[in-house]
Amino acid sequence: MKKIAIIGSGAGGLITSSKLAKDLSKQIRNEEVSITIFDRNLEQEFQPGYLEVAFRGTDPAKIIRRVEGLVSPGVKLVYENVEKVDLADRYLQTEGSKEKYGFDYLIISTGSSPDYKQISGLREDNMDFHTDAYNSNLIYQRISKIKSGRIVVGIAGLPYKCPPSPNESAFMLDEYFRKQGLRDNVEITYITPFTRIYSAESINEVIEPIYEKRSIGSVTAFNTDYVDTDRKEINSMEGETLKYDYLFLTPPHKTASFLKGTEFSDEDGWVKVDRRDLHITSYGDSFAIGDTTNLPISKAGVEAHLEGIVVANNIAAEINGMERKYRFTGRTQCSMETGFHKATFVVGTYDKPVEKIEPSTMNYMEKKVMEKIYWGSLHGHYEWLFKYHFKEDYFQD
Amino acid sequence: MATYNVDSRGTACPGPITDLIRAYRKAQNGDEIVLVANDPGAVPDSKAWCERTRNQFMGSKEADRIFEITIKVTGKKA
Ligand SMILES: Cc1cc2nc3c(=O)[nH]c(=O)nc-3n(C[C@H](O)[C@H](O)[C@H](O)COP(=O)(O)OP(=O)(O)OC[C@H]3O[C@@H](n4cnc5c(N)ncnc54)[C@H](O)[C@@H]3O)c2cc1C
Repeated sequence: MKKIAIIGSGAGGLITSSKLAKDLSKQIRNEEVSITIFDRNLEQEFQPGYLEVAFRGTDPAKIIRRVEGLVSPGVKLVYENVEKVDLADRYLQTEGSKEKYGFDYLIISTGSSPDYKQISGLREDNMDFHTDAYNSNLIYQRISKIKSGRIVVGIAGLPYKCPPSPNESAFMLDEYFRKQGLRDNVEITYITPFTRIYSAESINEVIEPIYEKRSIGSVTAFNTDYVDTDRKEINSMEGETLKYDYLFLTPPHKTASFLKGTEFSDEDGWVKVDRRDLHITSYGDSFAIGDTTNLPISKAGVEAHLEGIVVANNIAAEINGMERKYRFTGRTQCSMETGFHKATFVVGTYDKPVEKIEPSTMNYMEKKVMEKIYWGSLHGHYEWLFKYHFKEDYFQD
Repeated sequence: MATYNVDSRGTACPGPITDLIRAYRKAQNGDEIVLVANDPGAVPDSKAWCERTRNQFMGSKEADRIFEITIKVTGKKA
């Protein structure tokens, strides 16, 4: 019996399990292979939907699904978090348990989450749409009470998931207050530690004029040090201060705590993987995908998905005694809503720099299609579409 | 005085600057950050970032299309 363990039932973990279950269905039926996902979460959330919940008041229930309905037949769920992984001896342990769960293959897809320890004072005043659907809903309730004031929005620290999301929040706040007829009473300022409003120049060229047109101010090269909640000031490491009444900053993110201090992660806990086949460097049968890797690409669902396909394919091929090896291309595709039913995309690979794509209603509609097919895509129902859409970037073989 | 060695080879914009900014958060005035990258854009981007943040761009060396950029941290408020 070959035991495949997956840690994390998010975007990466689920698609990996679905593809494995499909490619190894016969072996699972014959009890030659088992696939088990470990994660204490009973529900999953469509994280890109946090923006809609926070800034448009979408019902949070619409972006939540029970995990049991998202896994394919043959995949077992253990609703417990992992607290220790031993790659050399091939076992993991769940929280508070001494029992050693052995595995032949391991996939770590434990994502990333906001790390407030890095910036003191930020948590107290921040309206953070990177946590969960519930908190995003609270943000909408708070926004609905704002009639005037100084809003500061943007990036408080690196890295974080979904690179365009801070810019999207600025555009969506602008749209919200324009629609309320309150825009003239509200000052919106975007801050970023980069020297451009969007880090990649091609996208910066597209969005900078929109910032100007919408009167959204910007302060670049601003390295947030701490937030003084009594004085309502954000202080930069270089000694600049910015006044705010309302804060919408994206905090720096961290990995799952059990990864910190392991020999297979870097000093901040991001797992060191091969950028093409995602194996954990020095272990051929253990992999990490999605936000938790140390790869120098966007932390985004598209990456987690395409990496999951590569890893699942290669594990199934090995079990089936085949040579076929897929390689990840580094493809990214993050939508960036620019407000009023328009969007652009941040698209690139390891080998191709980020393209310049003008915002359009077509792009916005493509983003909406992704929302509709998201849950089905975790089952692997739309691989034909992704293959067609991503073409040679889907994977290399 | 510490030296932070940041290896950004294999990453393109904004990878090297992201790595630089992450190292900067941990560094103190007087420390050096040595950024190694194969993206030629890393040199002008680091220079521009230093000018804006009042840190010191000490220089860059190139060998076999690998750029080694040295930055002295001087911009942090004491
Ligand atoms: C506001 C916002 C907008 C976004 N927009 C986009 C977008 O437009 N396009 C895009 O591609 N991506 C977008 N993303 C990013 C995308 O949601 C993530 O990159 C993606 O979910 C990453 O997948 P993952 O599997 O790595 O992690 P996740 O989907 O976050 O799943 C990680 C899972 O691991 C579990 N876990 C953590 N620790 C443990 C442990 N110790 N043991 C067991 N389980 C554990 C967690 O409970 C979680 O269920 C957005 C995110 C946000 C917040």
